[in-house]
Amino acid sequence: MEPPSRCPRGLDCGPTEDYRLDCGPDSEDISIVVSGSLGRDEFTSGSDIDWSLLIDGSADPKHYDLLRQIGGVIDTIAAKPTGPEGTFGRMVFSHGLIHEIGGDDDTNRNTTRRLLLLLESRVVRRADAYSRVVRGILDRYLLEDRGLWKGSTGHRVPRFLQNDFARYWRTMTVDFAYKLRNRAGKGWAIRNIKLRMSRKLLYVSGLLACYRCHLDYDEAERLKVYSDPDMKSEVIEHLQSIFRESPLEIAAGILLRYPHLDGSARKILGAYNEFVGILADDQQRSRLDNLKENEAERPGSMRANSATNSAMACWSSFSTRQAACVI
Amino acid sequence: MRPIGFSTGALAYGDFREALRMLAGKDVQTLELSALRQCELVPLLQAIPSLDLSGFAYVSIHAPSQFEPNWEGALWEQLAGDVATRWPIVLHPDAIIDFGLWRELGASICIENMDKRKPIGRTARELSEIFKQLPDATFCFDIGHARQFDPTMTEAWLILREFGSKLRQLHVSEVNTRSKHDCLSYASILAFQEVAHLIPESVPLILETPVPEWDIDAEIAKVREALPVKKKTIAA
Repeated sequence: MEPPSRCPRGLDCGPTEDYRLDCGPDSEDISIVVSGSLGRDEFTSGSDIDWSLLIDGSADPKHYDLLRQIGGVIDTIAAKPTGPEGTFGRMVFSHGLIHEIGGDDDTNRNTTRRLLLLLESRVVRRADAYSRVVRGILDRYLLEDRGLWKGSTGHRVPRFLQNDFARYWRTMTVDFAYKLRNRAGKGWAIRNIKLRMSRKLLYVSGLLACYRCHLDYDEAERLKVYSDPDMKSEVIEHLQSIFRESPLEIAAGILLRYPHLDGSARKILGAYNEFVGILADDQQRSRLDNLKENEAERPGSMRANSATNSAMACWSSFSTRQAACVI
Repeated sequence: MRPIGFSTGALAYGDFREALRMLAGKDVQTLELSALRQCELVPLLQAIPSLDLSGFAYVSIHAPSQFEPNWEGALWEQLAGDVATRWPIVLHPDAIIDFGLWRELGASICIENMDKRKPIGRTARELSEIFKQLPDATFCFDIGHARQFDPTMTEAWLILREFGSKLRQLHVSEVNTRSKHDCLSYASILAFQEVAHLIPESVPLILETPVPEWDIDAEIAKVREALPVKKKTIAA
């Protein structure tokens, strides 16, 4: 099967950090950020483009004009509009992403934007604001994680961050039910398979990134790095480098590291490849888009079932085993 | 205690004599003679023999931050003689056109990291490319620029880890969202404290905070709070 296109027509995609878009000024205070399948390097012809105008600087009324200009360009490229929840296609200010973690002001939308910025985002054009905001977010999670620096167990896993990834995963699962109701079942099947595959991969990659804060150092290095919060920059830089990888790359990296996971690796990556292939097939994707819940119960009606079931079993096994490696 | 002083440009723009007058009687040990604009350099160099700089243990010169390309040779000639043998010359990497010229001045050249507006010289990675061209140059760490680029101070940490051995002096100020130098705020004091331990006590501090004469002592006190001296310095 032909691999899916890495980027939509109209975007000149070089290395993952080097997408180009022919509009918008360069600015050290603004970054155009893409998430979703484009952020994960899994873009297919049927994908929408989840994008945001990230602003980390003085507010300027002209930002709205830029927003509309970018939206106009993206509308001509994307196969379909962004989701109706209003999470994307908007101006996003760094203040909320960095300062509102937990509490009443950390809305579903804010959490989604923040964690997707870490887990599945890429920047178009200048990355100054993007990089600054990612570091600001990581700074919050790491420096305020008392257990990371002073915990007695010896496990150097940023639990504050890990818990937020877990919270976000649960939010996605609950939001699935919300959307099922809100959209009267429309698009149920495709959202279901995405939840089981790409959304779960997102969660797993977040967990693995947290575990790598422990696993990527030997005992002597851990003692040195985590003995002093002044060393937090080392961990921020390390985590930032991990999050530059796509969720699949993060998962694959761990799978490659441990030979006893070879069997799981083949199943997981094989199933995920099949999943992306299904979404890249316009006919199958269209079928999933229109499949009703009662139709899915008929045998053979949803080829995706075998891929999802296989992957689900592997994810569970993988997640447990990986946790066992650390604990 | 860290040797501390001011850039003349921060106190009085191109009027270096006025800046020296403002500093008379103050507890300062360092001085940067600033000729940030091309037209300021020659008057400054001509005035140096008549300036009383005896009270300063450390003096440096800040070359123009930008200049016409066809003037670079003349600038080099102005600085290459007496000045380069006496004092470090602080240079903005984005202003350099002919690296071969400045390479000849070796450790007299002191490269400064840039603010976020500039195309190069802002990060450890970008600075490494510059120091490849000027391997003997020393380093002026502008802590305000580094914080403006990355308020978490991770980039500052990376820069100091990579180039701490080349440290010749520090520029200290807050750099605001308009990329202008400003007095230290509470947030910048907290931020600078995070990397203070990576800066050896002997490295001269040059304040680029624009303060009136009556606030000089107060600003120096803030900088000392922002960059305390720890007994044990962790190697950069």
